[in-house]
Amino acid sequence: MTQLALIIDLNVCVGCSACVTSCKEWNTSGPAGPLSDRNPYDADPTGTFFNRVQTFEVGEFPQTETVHFPKSCLHCEDPPCVPVCPTGASYKRKEDGIVLVDYDKCIGCKYCSWACPYGAREIDEQQKVMKKCTLCVDRIYSTTLPEADRRPSCVMACPTSARLFGDIHDPDSVVSRAIRENGGYALMPEWGTQPANHYLPRRKTSITIHKDQLVRADNPLKIDGKLPKPAKQEPTLDDVTSW
Amino acid sequence: MQSTSFSRLESRYFYAFAAACAMVAGIGYLASHYMEEHGHIVTGMNNTIVWGMPHVFAIFMIVAASGVLNVASIGSVFGKAVYKARAPLSGLLCIGLLAGGLMVLMLDLGRPDRFIVAATHYNPTSVFAWNVLLYSGMFSLVAIYLWTLLEKRFNSWSKPAGLMVFAWRFILTTGTGLIFAFLVARQAYGSALLPPMFIVLSFAWGLAVFLLAQAAIYAWNRETLDPAILKRMRNLLGVFIIGALYLVAAYHLTNLYFAKQTGFERFILVDGGTYPWLFWAGYVVFGSLLPLLLIYHPSLGKTRSVVAASLLVIIGSLALLYVFIIGGQAYPLAIFPGFEASSSFGDGQIAAYKPSLPEFLLGIGGIGVALLITTVGVRVFNMLPHDAALPQGVHGETH
Repeated sequence: MTQLALIIDLNVCVGCSACVTSCKEWNTSGPAGPLSDRNPYDADPTGTFFNRVQTFEVGEFPQTETVHFPKSCLHCEDPPCVPVCPTGASYKRKEDGIVLVDYDKCIGCKYCSWACPYGAREIDEQQKVMKKCTLCVDRIYSTTLPEADRRPSCVMACPTSARLFGDIHDPDSVVSRAIRENGGYALMPEWGTQPANHYLPRRKTSITIHKDQLVRADNPLKIDGKLPKPAKQEPTLDDVTSW
Repeated sequence: MQSTSFSRLESRYFYAFAAACAMVAGIGYLASHYMEEHGHIVTGMNNTIVWGMPHVFAIFMIVAASGVLNVASIGSVFGKAVYKARAPLSGLLCIGLLAGGLMVLMLDLGRPDRFIVAATHYNPTSVFAWNVLLYSGMFSLVAIYLWTLLEKRFNSWSKPAGLMVFAWRFILTTGTGLIFAFLVARQAYGSALLPPMFIVLSFAWGLAVFLLAQAAIYAWNRETLDPAILKRMRNLLGVFIIGALYLVAAYHLTNLYFAKQTGFERFILVDGGTYPWLFWAGYVVFGSLLPLLLIYHPSLGKTRSVVAASLLVIIGSLALLYVFIIGGQAYPLAIFPGFEASSSFGDGQIAAYKPSLPEFLLGIGGIGVALLITTVGVRVFNMLPHDAALPQGVHGETH
């Protein structure tokens, strides 16, 4: 079975919220919309957003770093929001594993919001039904868009390419390789919900440099040995010639 | 049921009171209409606090509806004559409270207009859907039970009907508790203790409602309740209050034992602002200890004290439910344990909730419906308890 998912590289995410705004823009004007807002330009704005960037600090000052953590519906393989829905409005698609809400069947009891351990459910306060990330289901299968654009809006918008999209059940897919090779992990696996979305951890790249590597080793004058050996402090050929 | 006690009811007062109840219910309906027109945007609820003040009232009424049937059960199932005489009133109060509670619950849905969808699309794995069956089943069973009580030809069926109602009410309150017990991810819930806790809470809340209704009906008819019966029912209320306190304490102490829950308990019990106040002052002191004093103090325990104790139990129950439902949602989900998360959406922070007037009016409207059904039912079906028919000195014995 196909299980579409997003892979978010926390090592690359800079917390710019481009994914948040592009998601809002695409979905508010599409079939999932409107994503109602209240006082959007006032001091106390609220609104319906499928995607949010949470931020937290890791470490003790001064050895701290800031982690930006974009979070939307994780499209769990065993989603707790689906069995609790009294009318079956919440469902998981067999063909691609996307968890969706049928707005016409949702009675707005909001119980799925209680059941989701990740806080991914959103009540549209105007339309009065529950909403959530659709993985841009209207976009990824759209035949009116060029092939390259048939990706979720947030993936398209990410300036650092921190977001990958694909089938995590296909071992050869880009996302499966990213999870496998970069220590990808699921959020709160202890709930047993098997979130499809995965995160790639923050990674430090370090190399060891030895002293001799700081000295130029490929100077042909040194190999020849016939010419006077210039002292280390003296300029090399690179310094005195134009080539 | 041939008594003409209610002929003494002054019609004018009855109609005025019924009209007042209808008006309260109407205001509740108008409030829900306002929220329906404008959306939840005009309420204090938001994406984090999705169940607000109406649910506090609705769950109180549904839990009390189950508890108020205790009186009927003690009469029909355990054969106590004093309680048997009160069984019709108990059943009527149950139907009234259930109707009021469900009205609030339905009108607080995002889309109450889709009631037919809820009725025609049934998800058997949903505890919420189970409750739809449990509520409608309760209505039907209590109606049948009342029929067996009021129709002389079927009186002999009142015991099996009472047994069915007795079993169903336990399942119903278990179902209400399970709505919260099945929520594994939230710190306030996900405990197997919740269904039994709700059952014991229902005993106290239901009996408090019953005692209030009984006192009002007796006062209306200028009759006095036999002190022996008052004492018996008063003491039962006291035992239920103590039982409820015990289970609430066990629930919090269990949570305190788990290191991961201590943050939440600290929030609810110590530094959560409104919530600790409502819990300690509202539920523990005014909703439990003070009623116990009014019940058990040697110089108190008369009708007025019992009425005051019952009122306080009801106020305390609303305070407890506010803390339980809204406080439980206000505390953030532990998505990044050990870290303080923030976002421009209030993630990782204590959620704010300020109940709006329409929410409050909708809740009160539900109480108006319950009162209206009870008032009209008591008059039409003549449900004043008839203790005079009992032989002297056998109060509480089997018959």
